[in-house]
Amino acid sequence: MGLIARAIEAAGIATVSMIGLREIAERVRPPRAVHLRWPFGHPLGEPFRRAQQLSVIHYALHALYAIEEPGSIVEPGWAWRRQTYAEPVDWSMP
Amino acid sequence: MPDGNRLRRRVDRLIGRLYSHIPALGRRWGRRFDALSFAEIPFTRLRKPLRECRVALITTGGVHLRAQPAYDMADSRGDPSFRAIPAGTPASDLTITHDYYDHTDAERDLNILFPLELFRELRAAGKIGALATCYSFMGHIEPPHVEALLRVSAPRVAAMLKQEQVDAVLLTPA
Repeated sequence: MGLIARAIEAAGIATVSMIGLREIAERVRPPRAVHLRWPFGHPLGEPFRRAQQLSVIHYALHALYAIEEPGSIVEPGWAWRRQTYAEPVDWSMP
Repeated sequence: MPDGNRLRRRVDRLIGRLYSHIPALGRRWGRRFDALSFAEIPFTRLRKPLRECRVALITTGGVHLRAQPAYDMADSRGDPSFRAIPAGTPASDLTITHDYYDHTDAERDLNILFPLELFRELRAAGKIGALATCYSFMGHIEPPHVEALLRVSAPRVAAMLKQEQVDAVLLTPA
């Protein structure tokens, strides 16, 4: 997936990649990455947990602006399940 | 499908489920996976405010329209092709072909993997400017198909995104 992100970024489009395996991203180096140590197949969370899903999306979109160093990997540090999420209200970015 | 192939796919799916449910196994695989390594990193700053951005989603989770051909699961080195998914596609028109992870939950609620519905809501609420055509790949691509991904599929998708004047892309893995 990092290879695809790199090709898109090279074409002049900003990307942010959700990643579950930091070890791979550190080698492939997508331009911007958000790391969550969550189970495979669940990059944005659990089914029907809207606040969780939107929180991840909000965090990732924010990273599009906040990351200034190419190849940065940011981590919200959210636990799988043992975490309370509120639906993000303010989507004005940057 | 020959019996040997069917048996291999069953074993692959079983291993995929194990990897999905035992995160330590996945991380062990990640440490050993022979990923390409790069020193240089392409980088494009996003200068428009989000409410003006045309956004696209890309997943490597093996999503495709039911009407599109499935990814090739008979080739254990993966399938480097991609599928274009129109922004207005209802989740019920989409399915997943990918034997290397457990997509039971994503089939119940595609928003955990490929959040078309949530992004249509963000568009309707004016939080993003537009939702462009989205794309799906099947991750788990090994040599020699990595070459086709690098030289053909990924640049072709990048060119189509550019043509549609996309400003930003969110990528989600399996």
